[in-house]
Amino acid sequence: MIEVDGLTVRFGGVTSLDAMSLTFEQGTCGLIGPNGAGKTTFFNVLSGFIRPAAGTVRAFGTDLLAMAHFRRARWGLRRTFQTEQAIEELSVFDNVAMVHEHSGLNRGHRRRDVLDAIEFAGLDADPEAKVRTLGAGQRRLVEVARAVVGRPRLVLLDEPAAGLPDEESRRLAEVIRRIPEHTGALAILVDHDMSLVSACCATTAVLDFGKLIASGPTAAVLRDDAVIRAYLGVDQ
Amino acid sequence: MRATLERAAQPRTRRAITRPQLIKGTVTAAIILFTLFGLPEFMSLYYVDTMTQVAVYSMVALALGVLVGRVGLVSLGQVAVLAVGAWVAARLLFATTQPYLLVVLEAGLVTMLAGTLIGLPALRLRGLYLALITLMLAGGITVVLATVNFPNGGHGFLGYNGSQVHIPPIRRPSIAASDPAYFRYSVIIAIVMFALVLAHIKTKPGRAWAAIRQSEPAALAAGINTWFYKLWAFALASFITGVAGGVLAGAIHYLYSINFPAQDSITLLAVTLMGGVFSLWGAVVAALLYQFLPALLNNWGVSADWLIILFGVGVLQVLTTAPAGLADQVPKDLARLGRFLRRRLTRGSAP
Amino acid sequence: MPPWVDFEPFIVSGLALGGVYALSGVGLVVLYRATGVLYLAFGAVGALGALIAWQLTTRAGAPGWAGWLACIAVAGVVTLGYGLLFGPALARRDPLIKAVATIGLTLILYGVMDLLWTTSGGQARSLTLPTDNYTFTIGQIQVTWTQVIALGAGVVLTVGTAAFLHYTKIGTAMRAMANDRDITATLGVPVRKVEAAAWLGCGVLSGIAGLLLADLVALDATTLTFLVISSLAAVLVARLRSIPVTFAAAIVVGLVHDLLTPIVALSNYRDMTPFVIAAIGLLVLSRHQVIATSREEA
Repeated sequence: MIEVDGLTVRFGGVTSLDAMSLTFEQGTCGLIGPNGAGKTTFFNVLSGFIRPAAGTVRAFGTDLLAMAHFRRARWGLRRTFQTEQAIEELSVFDNVAMVHEHSGLNRGHRRRDVLDAIEFAGLDADPEAKVRTLGAGQRRLVEVARAVVGRPRLVLLDEPAAGLPDEESRRLAEVIRRIPEHTGALAILVDHDMSLVSACCATTAVLDFGKLIASGPTAAVLRDDAVIRAYLGVDQ
Repeated sequence: MRATLERAAQPRTRRAITRPQLIKGTVTAAIILFTLFGLPEFMSLYYVDTMTQVAVYSMVALALGVLVGRVGLVSLGQVAVLAVGAWVAARLLFATTQPYLLVVLEAGLVTMLAGTLIGLPALRLRGLYLALITLMLAGGITVVLATVNFPNGGHGFLGYNGSQVHIPPIRRPSIAASDPAYFRYSVIIAIVMFALVLAHIKTKPGRAWAAIRQSEPAALAAGINTWFYKLWAFALASFITGVAGGVLAGAIHYLYSINFPAQDSITLLAVTLMGGVFSLWGAVVAALLYQFLPALLNNWGVSADWLIILFGVGVLQVLTTAPAGLADQVPKDLARLGRFLRRRLTRGSAP
Repeated sequence: MPPWVDFEPFIVSGLALGGVYALSGVGLVVLYRATGVLYLAFGAVGALGALIAWQLTTRAGAPGWAGWLACIAVAGVVTLGYGLLFGPALARRDPLIKAVATIGLTLILYGVMDLLWTTSGGQARSLTLPTDNYTFTIGQIQVTWTQVIALGAGVVLTVGTAAFLHYTKIGTAMRAMANDRDITATLGVPVRKVEAAAWLGCGVLSGIAGLLLADLVALDATTLTFLVISSLAAVLVARLRSIPVTFAAAIVVGLVHDLLTPIVALSNYRDMTPFVIAAIGLLVLSRHQVIATSREEA
């Protein structure tokens, strides 16, 4: 489980995260909130790109913030980004293998692990094909494969289905839902698509203006008045 | 999909060399052979010397291409690094009787060490600041060299004797004393440097560089120690430039700080951008623009300033339209031309 | 160490030089904050202007003020022209790319200057401003009015620019654009006009700086083009952001450089001053780096 305690991030006068305290238990957890609520900021803190002004994050007992950013992948932190990051000039295989080789995993198992990840992600493409030849949906799946290869412990998914047509979104939802059972990792999903969040996440937390305003079973959270108000901006 | 994965899961067999690869390899080999054995035969000594300079600066452009094209680091002072390499080589050539090749290697290693030491703190800076620090460092080196001068056979650490009347020329390797022979020597060393870069690109560092170039945060998230790989690129580029300096010392025999003016680093960056930073041939194109064209114009009595203006325009053109440069654009254009001609010819022969 | 009296004249010349570096540095910072472009061609444009002024006053017999006006006008027009032509095309790119593009402009200008006013014949040109002939003394030191103007211009422009950025509409718009160009545009700010103003202002400053440096240092295309490095050093220490720090750093660069002149052991190395100061400033800066995930400014 991931324990976040009093996490605060300040950026030149703006408080992006305000004393966020939350525990992610297990499985796939959703993290939602209006634009600018601090969700990507939270991910950036976890990735090590932003140093918080205060607070701690303990992941499976380890102090995550004490680790150098590139070492977190070795520990088992994986992440996808809002804008696609698969490397165009390399092949699908090399894209996924790169995460494997830089995470200090066993060379002998590399081929098997990489192909396993590609298959799990549901990517139907020649692993030797260069990513630049793939369509947007397939590139997203390459990202997902990179996120699940090897032995991940914490998988962060930042709007993975953005821009995908419904059919592919649904298939992606299936994959995301199965990440914890397939890899043993805890997954946190940030997205605006409520049907995706409902389909994948057992529990969900809601941020608004950097503050945590709700958390618990997804269905209940999505019906919560405070959450609805935050999204619609309605004063009741 | 299962079938695809099963096929891929077979132990990686030696993939057959594809036809484009074969053509590319043959053309490259042909050009190399022609350069080594054909060119010196019908070029005057003036142009042989020029082409030796092309070989030297193709290595510098190669190094710059690794930095700019592979990792996205802009160096505004590569000529100063070249000067350091040349200085080290000259000092060793005067002070010792070591074989030339060894001296060249040592010049490369010392330059690499210097580059790495500078890179250690400098590479924590972001793009623009890093470029500016290379400008600043290069400027510093230029001032120091102007004061300290290049070795001229004197004694002491600096090897410079200000009151010396007869300055000995920097020696050449015994197997490559004549100008055409030295030209071949330079080309072979250049080929080795290109092969070294190719080896990097096709393996782990090359892939890491590709990831960093695409997006540094994503590379970090993939577990890549981006600072380390940038440092590696920096070290490689410094080594290659140092080697080039070593070759340059023997080429021109006499080194003066005016051989390495500050504006040359800017011009070199310009031609490297124009030649194309992603392809290895781009470095050769850059060196031809940088050394061969001025020599040509000089021969015809036209001022080289026109080239400077052209290079300035070239930079603007490359940055606003074709980021991959000429070496990438020309093959694409030729390929398109080839397809067009083929279609024309087959249409003509249809019944 | 030479006696104090040997340093005295260099305090004055150093302050004058520092004043011009400050004027240039402030111009560079304001343009950077408004457009994201670090205008590396600043020195070259000033050099072009100075050479044109020289040409008009010594070869075409024009009066002094006409030459200076031409210098400032040419510098302003070339800079504005560049900004209008290439600004939009590169607007979304990284600051590094935008800066490298200005190197393209530098090369073009440099080639033109060498073509038209070559120095290979060995002829040295000089530009003298009439204020060179008016001097007064402070204690033992002789001061020319040119030097006073140089320092004064630096001070006036620093204070004036800071005031401009804080109290005028255009200035506030420039500060907003430094933060985020797109959002500022949606607020109804005429982004293009503000940018044009910034380009023109910077160009005018480069013309003034060109004239002063041509007088104080040398009228030589290479020297003037690369003197921008001294202003760059100041601008880097100020992290491309603070106008007061730019001013202070510029003065320091100018002073240290000239004060090293009488020290025999270091005199030959005094041209390293901007490099050393900038390198130290940058390395101190590098301790606080944060990885940018969005398009944050440098």
